[in-house]
Amino acid sequence: MIVFDQVNKYYGDFHVLKNINLTINKGEVVVVIGPSGSGKSTLLRCINRLETISEGSLSVNGLNVADKKTDINKLRRNIGMVFQHFHLYPHKTVLENIMLAPKKVLGQTDAEAKKIAQKYLEKVGIADKANSFPSQLSGGQQQRVAIARGLAMGPEIMLFDEPTSALDPEMIGEVLDVMKALAHEGMTMVVVTHEMGFAREVADRIVFMDEGKVLEEAIPAEFYANPREERARLFLSRILNH
Amino acid sequence: MDFAGAYTPDNIKFLLEGFWVTIQVAFVSIILSFIIGGLVGIIRYAKVPVLSQILAMIVETVRNLPLLLIIFFTYFALPEVRIKLEIIPAAIVALTIFESAMLSEVIRSGLKSVDKGQMEAARSSGLSYVQALIHIILPQALRRMVPPIVSQFISLLKDTSLAVVISLPELTHHGQIIYGQSQKFLIPILILVALMYFVVNYSLSIVAQRLELKRT
Repeated sequence: MIVFDQVNKYYGDFHVLKNINLTINKGEVVVVIGPSGSGKSTLLRCINRLETISEGSLSVNGLNVADKKTDINKLRRNIGMVFQHFHLYPHKTVLENIMLAPKKVLGQTDAEAKKIAQKYLEKVGIADKANSFPSQLSGGQQQRVAIARGLAMGPEIMLFDEPTSALDPEMIGEVLDVMKALAHEGMTMVVVTHEMGFAREVADRIVFMDEGKVLEEAIPAEFYANPREERARLFLSRILNH
Repeated sequence: MDFAGAYTPDNIKFLLEGFWVTIQVAFVSIILSFIIGGLVGIIRYAKVPVLSQILAMIVETVRNLPLLLIIFFTYFALPEVRIKLEIIPAAIVALTIFESAMLSEVIRSGLKSVDKGQMEAARSSGLSYVQALIHIILPQALRRMVPPIVSQFISLLKDTSLAVVISLPELTHHGQIIYGQSQKFLIPILILVALMYFVVNYSLSIVAQRLELKRT
């Protein structure tokens, strides 16, 4: 479904992604971990072309993402994205946040979009906040709205870029629960996170990155019990024993 | 000082007529420069190739010239190249050129002040660049831009007085005509002229403050 083939990316002289080869299948939950600055977020952002790749090829659903002729807006309809800092639209209510893209991009009527928005708000457990503004919600609630906003477009793929890193510790659980439920329903998910518990429990595969390279790919049980790479071992020992 | 002699009904009426011209010229220039400045600001924010570089050069040039020179230009220089403008249009054109350049910068920086993540969130949900601009970026930017835009409007209203140099029959010019009759009228008339500018501009800034309070 998502195929990176010999992908390289540079910011000027800085080589951010180095020879990435990675295939993500339909219904798979892939968790990308690694130290900061290792290129995890960049990798994720290439999938919906928030970042462009410099070399190699990247296809999503058979469409060449890097090709200028690819209708990027059409591709993006099918890929929901959740950001570290939520990026809800502050001038719109929760309901309007969710309804905007379905109305403007998919051409849904107000009634249709509202019905779908309410359905997803219920799913993420905050139907009662439909008419609130983002600033009136806690961080965890805002992130759940952001997930509902992504889901309302009916995407086949959901991307999560450190979705819990900006949250108070006590709100992390409620967001992870929503993500777990989504994973169990068979959503294709690519998640950049530092939540090792989530990775261990939910991921089908762990991708460990360092300095722009994918150093290791493994199923969680294998990865946590016995990481092959020295760098991964060091990373795990630091993150798990603090 | 002769207040009674200065403030005759005829003189006050004459000043108000001048003030009415000031308001009209300012109003038309404000509308035009808001439209032009808005477009220029958006084009430069969107970094439309070539066009935005050309506009950047023009804006920088205009912003670094005195308004007085631009007024001289539209009224005295344009006829040399066979573009003859009457006094009022010449004043409006000069003010519009100058204020459009100023406003385009206000609007561009307002747009830039909206968090980059807003554009990313909108684009990643499938909205086109223009849709994201219209529904997400502009509404947020406009709210933030109200105070600087209003203060730009206030300075435009005051700047109309510079058109006195091409004898635009506005408030300052009519004031000059009255105190030209007698030195004794100078202070009373200047006070009244100042009061008229002040009342309108101060009301504008109060409206701006209200608008700002409403949104917080």
